[in-house]
Amino acid sequence: MPITTTRRRLLAGSAAALAFPAFARAQGAAKPRLTAISQWSAGSDGAAITALGKKFEEKGGVWQHSPVPGFTTEMMNKLRAQIIAGDPPACSQLKGPEIAAWSKIAPTVDLDSIVAAAGYEKVVAPDLAKLHKPGGKWIALPLQIYSTNMLFLSKRGMDKAKADKIPVTWADFNELADKMKSAGMNYPLANGGTRPDDGQKFEASFAGISPVAYRAAIMNLDKKALEGPEIKAAFAQTRKIADWCDPNVGAQPYATNLKRFIDGDMGMMIQGGWAQGVLRNAGFKFDDFIIAPGPSDNGKPVFLLNADAFIFWQRKEADLQAGQMLMAQLVMDPAIQTMYSQITGSIPVRTDVDLSGEGWSDGQRRTAAALKDAVANNQAVLSLAHNMAQQNGLTAAMIDVLTEYVKNKTIKPEQAVTRLADAVEGAR
Amino acid sequence: MTDVVATAARPATPDWVRRLPEYLMIWVPLLLSAAHLVTFSLWTIWISFTPSTLVPVTGWVGLRNYSAVLVSRNWQIAFDNLLLFGSAFVLLSLMTGLLLAILLDQRIRGENVLRSIFLYPLAVSFVVTGTVWSWLLNPGIGIQKLVHDLGWTSFRFDWLVDRDMAIWTIVIAAIWQSSGFAMALFLAGLRSVDADIIKAAQIDGAGPIRIYRRVVLPTLWPITITVVVVQLQFAISAFDLVRALTNGGPGIATQLPALVVYDLMFQRSQLGRGAAAAVLMLLILLAVLLPYAAWRYVRQRRTTHA
Amino acid sequence: MRERTFAPSRLLIYLVVSLVAAAYLAPLVVVVLNSLRSNEEIAQASMIGWPQQWAWNNYARAWSGFCVAETCAGIRPYMLNSALVTIPATIISTLLGAIAGYAVSLWRFRGDNWIYGIVTLGLFLPQQMRLLPWTIVLRDVGLINTLTGLVLIHTIQGLSFTTLFCRNYYVAVPHELIRAARIDGAGFFRIFWRIILPLSGPILIVTVIWQFTHIWNEFLYGVTFTTGQQQPVTAALIALSAAIADIPQHGVQSAAVIIAALPTLLIYLLGGKYFVRGLTAGAVK
Repeated sequence: MPITTTRRRLLAGSAAALAFPAFARAQGAAKPRLTAISQWSAGSDGAAITALGKKFEEKGGVWQHSPVPGFTTEMMNKLRAQIIAGDPPACSQLKGPEIAAWSKIAPTVDLDSIVAAAGYEKVVAPDLAKLHKPGGKWIALPLQIYSTNMLFLSKRGMDKAKADKIPVTWADFNELADKMKSAGMNYPLANGGTRPDDGQKFEASFAGISPVAYRAAIMNLDKKALEGPEIKAAFAQTRKIADWCDPNVGAQPYATNLKRFIDGDMGMMIQGGWAQGVLRNAGFKFDDFIIAPGPSDNGKPVFLLNADAFIFWQRKEADLQAGQMLMAQLVMDPAIQTMYSQITGSIPVRTDVDLSGEGWSDGQRRTAAALKDAVANNQAVLSLAHNMAQQNGLTAAMIDVLTEYVKNKTIKPEQAVTRLADAVEGAR
Repeated sequence: MTDVVATAARPATPDWVRRLPEYLMIWVPLLLSAAHLVTFSLWTIWISFTPSTLVPVTGWVGLRNYSAVLVSRNWQIAFDNLLLFGSAFVLLSLMTGLLLAILLDQRIRGENVLRSIFLYPLAVSFVVTGTVWSWLLNPGIGIQKLVHDLGWTSFRFDWLVDRDMAIWTIVIAAIWQSSGFAMALFLAGLRSVDADIIKAAQIDGAGPIRIYRRVVLPTLWPITITVVVVQLQFAISAFDLVRALTNGGPGIATQLPALVVYDLMFQRSQLGRGAAAAVLMLLILLAVLLPYAAWRYVRQRRTTHA
Repeated sequence: MRERTFAPSRLLIYLVVSLVAAAYLAPLVVVVLNSLRSNEEIAQASMIGWPQQWAWNNYARAWSGFCVAETCAGIRPYMLNSALVTIPATIISTLLGAIAGYAVSLWRFRGDNWIYGIVTLGLFLPQQMRLLPWTIVLRDVGLINTLTGLVLIHTIQGLSFTTLFCRNYYVAVPHELIRAARIDGAGFFRIFWRIILPLSGPILIVTVIWQFTHIWNEFLYGVTFTTGQQQPVTAALIALSAAIADIPQHGVQSAAVIIAALPTLLIYLLGGKYFVRGLTAGAVK
């Protein structure tokens, strides 16, 4: 049995694939059908993808979604199995640099003309666009955006600490946390203890201290920046954050703490907008909490980009091609992005969506404004903790160091710096 | 017998044709099973020498994948943990199983109920065991919280979030789940001890403890070895349980080889390195199994020669 | 030793046994209680507690209510999928294992020790390592995303265990029995059917219990080699455990855990007695 899938063989498949005109022609002929793989099965994620599927069906399509519950790894196992079997889904959830990596193992759909027709390129942040067009052609479409370093403040927690100012810099943040602590909160921070959460604590610190150093060290793996003073300061800030979190949460996700957060037993949380979707799903009110851009020492918002996306895999079947066409149009549609983001708590990828209307929270409006500001000031960077900055292998090696640092208080910031640099070297 | 007559009436049919169905029934499943094991292992060994990342590719990188795995902190921690977890778990589950078996062997009332209680964890999936124990052992929501709420506020049971002790939570959950198996085997062994020997010892005036030490326990040696091998196998391949209970944390304090293999192969998309880690895992298994196989071989020869 | 001696020592035995039994039962009790508490109640108190209000509807939601993405049918359809894989795979692997064990132990043929040794090694091959090779095999035989493919995997992998235990059980069968039957002209299958199978009760119970629980509880292959509507019950359970986008639903999750574990628990409760008896004969040689 042939037991390798060589790169050459896979690329040979792409040569045989149909060109775009045939793709467009197919749309008229067949009833659009879409096979999709994602890990979105529960909570607001599950609700949002279900709503998207309904829209797809309303447009006359056949929606065949295969949710893979569990970690992202299981979803990728499923995708890999389908690709090796020569039966990739018409589209699947994939994000960040993994889009480029996976596009090398199986032929993808060239979406350039449909993206051009929709004028989508003009309304997507350039850093983000780049990730979805490796090799210069659009093969994947971003669906929604989060910033992983939004600051969630509990109204009751603020009252308890007699504070009313939203912290802007890390110094403000630290001061507020101390105030909350002396007001009787044992643990001012409601973050969880999962691997991505520990990564977020660090990346929020680093990018907030210096987005320039973050870009150089984490995104470009510049050796000097990886050993610079900013990253050491970031580890020191991370330690403070870790000390303000409840150690008993262990490896539980932040959601375990949400009730304590709303009740004001924990005052703050550094989290992405998805926490808003969860809070809403759990029946808490928007008035119970405030969402603001994460601390930034230069006073201007820093945006840690995390975008979910769909990649489109080449299929010969006319109905699947028509389905891909329909799906691409839906994903780029401002109304669909609005619907999706209002369920999950993210913001739309399109920068031209008006968020002033009902259904949007102040937090989402602030997030969108922060994105605009951050892009203008070149302070929108890619999240490491959520697999946007580097490929999974490198990310995981770096998170190993970060999560160990967060959980082990005997590691000094300077040791952590060395370990992170070593991890980068080892994983390359 | 009818088919004897039938076969006798058709002497022309060669023997092997007549016996074809039984050959097929024996050989096809056995060969398929053996073939999948051999090819899968060889395939993994081969992949461990290639630069494969997301999917298998051809190529040759020599021992590079092995050296990358061996110097990684994850693997070193996983290996140390395996030594600690493996020996602690095997020893403790052996002792628990033996103790339970001896107790159940005392002709106590309600033996059926008790045996079911000790066996039922085997029916539960590792994922569920891991999840439920992560509730119980989590100091924020589990046993510690309960005791605090009852008024004893200085009580501490926070091994799950303690880097040095977290590995013991895996030991606890693993023993809970699988010591029933050890108990069942030991009980089976105790029940097959020849009653006459015990009678003879009693007539000689030996007390119960002395009888256990001198007469009963020595006969349990073969079972003990079986239990050790089965439990070690469990320890080395422990995966779902750890993933649901600690997921390798706090930090990376409870990494185990099976977790590292899965992580490298599928999460980090470093298939070559993952395969190298898998081969290292197989070598560890062989280090356990070869002495066992040798011991069985020697024992078998001794019994056939005696 | 096995007679009733003086009371204090027996009291001690009962005390120790009850304590250990309580420790073994504790997790089950906690899950059962949680399955009857509402999610909110658990979130406010702790994971361990007596239900303030009996939340029976946790079971209704777990059985046919909660959603996995767009399918809001609870755990029910997934139970059926698991049964469709587990039952055939258990029966086939047990039967083939019994025949193989019988052949290896009582018929002896050239190379039997070798092949038997290799097959039993399968017990020790980590399953993460087999995932990709299985993908390739399933692709080549065209069984990816079919329940048949899962049955195939579990049958072939299960043979390691079933052959080992059946072989160890059958070595104890007196060879004279077989010899006599052969002199009477009985063939391979007739002897199996008439002599071996009637003797096999205890060991078949062991293999059935073992195979059933292992296949029922399997997750990795179950989600990788199926699509949406065919996923096993373990996938639905994972979907219920707290994800990044959901608050913990411990009440419904506990109810689902109980329902999903019922088939395997029942099998152990009903077969526990025979399990020990079968092990006595099967594993110890």
